[in-house]
Amino acid sequence: MRINTHRGGKLRAFGALLGMLLLTTTVYADDIPPLEERLQLCGGCHNPDGNSVIPENPKLAGLDAKYIARQLGDFKAGKRSNEIMSGIITMVDEKEFKALATYFSGQKRSDGTSDKPDLVAQGKQIFDEGVIGTAVPACAGCHNEDGSGSDKFPRLNGQNPAYVVNQLMNFKNKVRNNDPKAVMQAVAKRLNEKEIAAVAEYVTTLKEAE
Amino acid sequence: MNNILSIIFVSLFSLQAGMAQAADAYVPKVYGKKGYVWDEMTPERIQVLKMGGDPVKGKESFRGCRGCHKADAAGVREGVYPRLTGQHASVLIKQITEIRAGIRKNPKMLPFVEDPAISVEEIGDIAAYLNSLTSVRENGKGDVDMSVQGKKLFTDNNCFKCHGVNGEGNAAKAYPVVAAQHYGYLLREMKLIMTGVRGNSNPDMVKAISKLKQEELEAVADYLSRLPDYRTVAASK
Repeated sequence: MRINTHRGGKLRAFGALLGMLLLTTTVYADDIPPLEERLQLCGGCHNPDGNSVIPENPKLAGLDAKYIARQLGDFKAGKRSNEIMSGIITMVDEKEFKALATYFSGQKRSDGTSDKPDLVAQGKQIFDEGVIGTAVPACAGCHNEDGSGSDKFPRLNGQNPAYVVNQLMNFKNKVRNNDPKAVMQAVAKRLNEKEIAAVAEYVTTLKEAE
Repeated sequence: MNNILSIIFVSLFSLQAGMAQAADAYVPKVYGKKGYVWDEMTPERIQVLKMGGDPVKGKESFRGCRGCHKADAAGVREGVYPRLTGQHASVLIKQITEIRAGIRKNPKMLPFVEDPAISVEEIGDIAAYLNSLTSVRENGKGDVDMSVQGKKLFTDNNCFKCHGVNGEGNAAKAYPVVAAQHYGYLLREMKLIMTGVRGNSNPDMVKAISKLKQEELEAVADYLSRLPDYRTVAASK
């Protein structure tokens, strides 16, 4: 593409303006603690590598960055609430979301294990095929068969079962309602508690397809 | 000349105003209720048809449908969920918008197609995507081959007049493709249409199939389930 000199001049002016803007952001960024420090805050519950070892807390490692940033934004805006996270998020500036999301997204998700093979088998059936009689769609439809998810649907492989159970119950009871299209609430409504336990036990055993 | 132009202009304007008013006042009517008109163009359907569809975008939007209709859109063999591959976009648009409007009763599907689950634009995209697909997975058929009897019934009852001799339907008139659909789905929907439970029954079809016995409905469903993909028939001619 050829740019004439007149436009080049405009571009230069724009560049200078952009530079000034960037400069101000850098000055601003001084107020924001370095990522390492932040990771101590987040890592206390989610582990510094994002693979929480506390069963009730989610693994963040390998979640899509956009998904993480959206959840942080929702916590901040009060669209999603949790007694701990809702407090913590008040200490974190919105400007930090992107870096945090990128960091945790870049961590490798650890595998999970289960010692309940029967529950895992039942969960696999629901995850892959849904429940025909009660019109539960297969989880694999949106989250992929290996649970790898996308920017809209979170990664589930290796996730802590207790966390998954809590979230599904929260969706079912509409305590959590920040799913953008209310689709997860509709699905969870059709699952009973036994099915929820089975699905949660299965997803932790999932490993991302190579 | 100016006069004619102004008349055209004014009439266009008032037409638009009238349409806007109609859109606000739109109340869906269900089969069996007074004032029901089959295939009535709902404001949303007109909107989707105007927008057209993008099959590439539709593939991503279809993600939310895969839980039931499967990643290949071929549904479930037992027919609980229909095969959608190769269905006319016009038919898919009609059905989705009618489910959204509450004309076709489908409580199972509703939460996944109603606003905000999918946008108006996504309806056309999904329809275009599905129309472009072909099934490789075998569809569900009846237990016993009743296709000879089924074909006769399909012909004698003039089913082919709308659904085509190869079960190819009619895209322009939004008559669905019925060839190679799952047996279980065909049988179930015929009954839902006949009894009016489906909500958007075509009265002509109700008339045509109401005289059929259970066994005859099964024969028609079996015959259609055994037909090849209508596009392979068209290609071989």
